Amino acid sequence: MSAAATGEAPRRHASRARSGRFAFVFGVLLLALFFGSVCLGPTVRFSVGEAWRGLLALVDFGPDLESASRQSILELRVWRALVTIGVGAALALSGGFIQGLFQNGLASPSLIGVTGGAALGAAVAVLIVGGYAPRLVLEHVGSNAYLIPAFGFAGAFATTALVVYLSGGGGRTSVTALLLTGIAVNMCVAGLFAAIQSLTLKDWEVSRAILAWTFGTLDDRSGYHAAIVFAGLALAAACIPFTALELDLLKGGEADAQSLGVNVGKLKWLAIFAAAVSASSAVAVAGQIAFVGLVVPHLVRLAIGGTHGVLLWLSLLGGGVFLLGAEFLQRWWLGEAALQPGVVMSLIGGPFFLMLLIRERREVGQW
Amino acid sequence: MVNRLIARDVAYEYQNGVRALDGAALELERGELVAVIGPNGSGKSTLLRCLAGLIEPSSGTVEVDGEAVVRLPPRERACRIAVVPQFLPKLLDVRVEDFVLGGRYAHMGRWRTAQKQDRAIVRAALERCDSLDVAERRMSELSGGQRQRVLVARAIAQAAGVLLVDEPTNSLDPEHQLAVFRSLAELVRGGRAALVVTHDLNLASQFATRAIVMQSGKTIDSGPVDRVLTRAVLEPVYGPHLHFGRFANGRPIVVPWDATS
Repeated sequence: MSAAATGEAPRRHASRARSGRFAFVFGVLLLALFFGSVCLGPTVRFSVGEAWRGLLALVDFGPDLESASRQSILELRVWRALVTIGVGAALALSGGFIQGLFQNGLASPSLIGVTGGAALGAAVAVLIVGGYAPRLVLEHVGSNAYLIPAFGFAGAFATTALVVYLSGGGGRTSVTALLLTGIAVNMCVAGLFAAIQSLTLKDWEVSRAILAWTFGTLDDRSGYHAAIVFAGLALAAACIPFTALELDLLKGGEADAQSLGVNVGKLKWLAIFAAAVSASSAVAVAGQIAFVGLVVPHLVRLAIGGTHGVLLWLSLLGGGVFLLGAEFLQRWWLGEAALQPGVVMSLIGGPFFLMLLIRERREVGQW
Repeated sequence: MVNRLIARDVAYEYQNGVRALDGAALELERGELVAVIGPNGSGKSTLLRCLAGLIEPSSGTVEVDGEAVVRLPPRERACRIAVVPQFLPKLLDVRVEDFVLGGRYAHMGRWRTAQKQDRAIVRAALERCDSLDVAERRMSELSGGQRQRVLVARAIAQAAGVLLVDEPTNSLDPEHQLAVFRSLAELVRGGRAALVVTHDLNLASQFATRAIVMQSGKTIDSGPVDRVLTRAVLEPVYGPHLHFGRFANGRPIVVPWDATS
């Protein structure tokens, strides 16, 4: 029987076309939201033409805007929008990897300790900047603004490494062991974080800085922040071609994938590395923003199904659209970002998670 | 490639201290369909996993074409040994054709893209297992029998010289049981070697060129089915409740029988 006779080729073509349409829509939305975010603001508004000229000036393709202050405001908004896109994309991509690895649509990057570790790292950095470190350290570090992202990144990565190490080492680690170790390490990290919060309660400035970080922030971001998040995102995206098909084959279980020739140990390392590096870079520059890594890959899977080769790329694009869209709508309606991004995502993500849980339990007849 | 699998003195101990294999040994040659039989818990499935290189024996060796199975890179191992599992842990929401295409993974290039030739092999494998009509359906929509045939089709698409099959006829009706064993016998006639773990002594009797009996983690007997499927060999292993007879072609029949009923 020929492929055409069974409708195989048209079906494959239709599936590819559908994914392509989604990618196109995400791309257009991203561009529109980017310009919208740059043009709209509580005090200063730019026309699209002026924003375009300002953007060209930013990359040395034209003169600055007539007003230096307007050019500065535009620059700030450009970095904020770029960082927002990068953070959303990185968190969603990380979630896509984690959900593929755990074969569970309710999994998110926090499972492997990324979020908790970043919070702890950032809290330690706040302590140092707040003057709690020994004088020798303070003399070298001072109030270095780059310290918090750097410590956030290091904390996230170190915690993930600890989870992987304690669960038995990449090659022989079962996904269940990884999950349980992740929960246990998260508890330990949360305990240390709470201890820091408790000890600094009387120091209003430090206490406030730690608290603010847990809400996430996308304001006052610079090229430095954009560089971190896009470097992490690029590293993670580079892992997609080497993990996507393997994650598809993992659906039949680890032993089945192994029997088909998948190096399951290497796959786990690579997927965890990709998830950790992208989520770490995101939380390092923007603080804790929950639920993007859970919601976006799940929505993409619901919308188009498909293989990880499609799912991961569309999650990356969709994450940028989702976070930038939520930020843009908030600024559009309220005239400013009244709620921190972490709070907005929790307000959206909590009910969404509940809905997923009810839906999945209904499907298996347990509700 | 000579498609020869040899296990010598294989032992395997689980982390909880249970010794599932204790000196198992076997040889599987090209053109052979070997049935591994034995009571529940005798170590058959653990042996199959050791032979497939999915777990490393605590001691002893497993070699395919003279090379240690556990030392082979995963993709090279998959090109030589294919496994047909008893079942998959969950019902997959994957198109049947894409599922069978997974069997071509070890043959794909660096960028893991399926070529026209891979798709042609997949469709030929599905046709051979009488499953081309379900190629566009999801795995989760198939009956137990259809799923089992698709699993065999995937192993065929894998184009490995050695097939390791774990209880392939569980939950299948008689016609489909025969169909699965016919497919395996045909593959063996084509030059492959197949080892089938089974509780169905009568299918083993009809299709196997040889039977290996396992008990308490050891391979205690091996030989032509005519000699192995006898009261003298099986009663000490399975107990006394067996009835022995002969098919029309003279092959042995063994059925459970309660003499008191």
